[in-house]
Amino acid sequence: MFRRGQSTTTAYLFLAPFLISTAIFFFYAFARAIYYSFTDFNLFNSPKLIGLQPYTQVVADPSFQRALTNSLIFAVVTTTLQTIFALLMAVALNNKLRGMAFFRSAWYMPSITSSVVITLIFLWLFQRRGIANYLITQWQTYQPLILTFLIGLVVAQVIQVLLERRSGLPARWTDPALAAVSALASLVVTAGLVWSGVAGPREVAPFDYQYFADKWISVGGVQILSIPLLVVIIQNTFTTVPTLMLFFLAGLQNIPGALYEAADIDGATPFQKLMNVTVPNLRPVTFYVITVGLIGTMQMFDQVAVIGSAAPQDTLITLAFYVYTNTFKAGAAPVNLAAAAAIILALIILLMVFIQRRFFPSEAR
Amino acid sequence: MKKVLTLSLGLALLAASASAQTASKTIKINGYGGTDQTLVNDLINRFVKPQMAKDGVTVVYQPLQGDYNKALTTLLAANTAGDVMYLPAETVDGFVATGKILPLNGLVTPTPFIKSLNTAFTRNGKLYAIAKDFNTLTVVYNKDLFDEAGVAYPNNNDTWTSLATKLRQVKQKLGSDYYGTCLQPNFDRFGAFAYATGWQQFGANGKTNLADPRFAEAFNWYTGLAKDKVGVQPSELSAGWNGDCLKSGKVAVAIEGGWIVNFLRDNAPNLKFGTALLPKNNKTGQRGNFLYTVGWAINSGTKNKAAAAKVLNILTSPQVQEYVLQQGLAIPSRSSLTNSAYFKKADPGAQNAKLVFQGADDGYVRAFTFGPKGPDWAKPINEALASVLSGQKSAADALKKAQADMTTFQSR
Repeated sequence: MFRRGQSTTTAYLFLAPFLISTAIFFFYAFARAIYYSFTDFNLFNSPKLIGLQPYTQVVADPSFQRALTNSLIFAVVTTTLQTIFALLMAVALNNKLRGMAFFRSAWYMPSITSSVVITLIFLWLFQRRGIANYLITQWQTYQPLILTFLIGLVVAQVIQVLLERRSGLPARWTDPALAAVSALASLVVTAGLVWSGVAGPREVAPFDYQYFADKWISVGGVQILSIPLLVVIIQNTFTTVPTLMLFFLAGLQNIPGALYEAADIDGATPFQKLMNVTVPNLRPVTFYVITVGLIGTMQMFDQVAVIGSAAPQDTLITLAFYVYTNTFKAGAAPVNLAAAAAIILALIILLMVFIQRRFFPSEAR
Repeated sequence: MKKVLTLSLGLALLAASASAQTASKTIKINGYGGTDQTLVNDLINRFVKPQMAKDGVTVVYQPLQGDYNKALTTLLAANTAGDVMYLPAETVDGFVATGKILPLNGLVTPTPFIKSLNTAFTRNGKLYAIAKDFNTLTVVYNKDLFDEAGVAYPNNNDTWTSLATKLRQVKQKLGSDYYGTCLQPNFDRFGAFAYATGWQQFGANGKTNLADPRFAEAFNWYTGLAKDKVGVQPSELSAGWNGDCLKSGKVAVAIEGGWIVNFLRDNAPNLKFGTALLPKNNKTGQRGNFLYTVGWAINSGTKNKAAAAKVLNILTSPQVQEYVLQQGLAIPSRSSLTNSAYFKKADPGAQNAKLVFQGADDGYVRAFTFGPKGPDWAKPINEALASVLSGQKSAADALKKAQADMTTFQSR
């Protein structure tokens, strides 16, 4: 219908809004950032080229070094955790169970909730008088009862299995039917002990751990990972797993069922099926998930900004946050340093993706 | 088609020139959002607009929501900030460095204003803003707790030792559920005590000396209150700040400014409170105090310098300041207001206002500011306070680390 030239024009017309906004807000902004990173720009002066000086200043800045370490550790730990959990969850949710639609949507909830809201909730959970500390206090209080119950359970199970085997029946140590009976018996015994006053909850002082304080996990005297950042890692894993799980779920649908049938015939255990059928076949998805995960975690900003001054800055500062705080100050700001840090961040991400592409092929074998 | 295009273009041009004309006769004011929005609009309607209308100038208030300093920075960098604006004393250095704040020498007369407030806005002999109002710290106490414990109220003659003794006694008499005071691990409260010893925030070389024995004296006194839980951090009582602590009815004293009055009125209407000046240091016999203040400044890029200066003069005029004081909203910055009838009222709010006003020139009073490198300056001090108050470090160790961090920070 259309002549060739006309249809190209039409296509460009439709694409124009995106092309223009990408050109202005991405390519132009990126070029400006590169330019500023070689100048003495402070938002208010007319920029003058000063060569590599901003880069040397940034690299020598202790808060940049901390931000870089925090970002790298955060990226590696979070990406690893979220990839593993997402895969396991996808495998679990790929089964045909009753009410699966409910579980799928329930697990997906954290992902669609705003990260600011989740961060506020986590701040509340990990307060000094928060739920986390409350649960630990409860655990300590009821530890005697829980231990009594567990010991009772094991003893009852051992006795039952030995009895069964003596009468010539093949009973496993983990037999669920016997375990149910053992649990019931142990519960009765524990309740009896509580009632007679032999065992009971302990009096303990409230567990009073400050999660958002200047506390670090150190290796050989070098501060590696701060406790506040650990909380953010837990939170980030919690919120990103569902999205990544969705990718894995999509990937799982594409694995031919015949492969599993063949594995079943060969007598493979579920774990062997996971490692030898599922994981290799999901390689393209895994590549995508890790790439997206690394990019997302390297740019992590919102959680740190929301927690703000609730935790000491060094414990949480990331590269993106460093760039932000150096650009938006009261009055003149070292924008050239922020730009240099942003370029370094971009280079690191590019390098990560490059290494991954080079050494971890994205195609299924 | 062409005709329509030319016509609409012409119209657009006309509209643009018309708006440019009105813009040249408008004075835009930037300030805080929130409650300030209502207050400043009220002031503008009552006092500024009628006078400026005679000159054919309209005045509009444009509040900046969220982080004011960041928003103002962006507007100034984009040359879209107002002609007149709030300038918080703690960020003066950063904004002066931009060259966008007009020195007011010759445009306004600074003499009627409290001297320490003018000092807060002066850099290299140039005055950059006139304080619109201010606050200082006072000792606000819960009368019932002192009565119950049979301990005398804090008063204006208290020294560090006598106040600490009173707090200890209250704690002893009332038991473990009650506390003497809340201690925020922050320079913005603690600093007032450091000043009382005669300690200087910046030495002659512009460096901060935390190894100064005077600083250590204040540090030891402040953190020493945490012994036996006479002083606790607000977070230990699940409180956000000292006002929350006092509100709980379990804490005898809060070291806070005049802003606590309206907070208590709204959140603890039955709490009977009194106010005293901060205690004097035993050695120097002086109090220390902070001046928390925000000034009116003029944009150096304004097209209507004369009109902007006139607006600024009206906003700091005696009539406006008396009005602000009467409303119980803030403590104005003119020294002549010391005789205002409002200060003679018996109501605890007015009494608090009177002592906040007195605090501005009693002892070693310094503006609340962090110097040219901004709020990060206070970080080493805050960390030292937090680590000692939470029992993680000894005062000596914490001070040693703070000094090392400060040296690194300042040599950057």
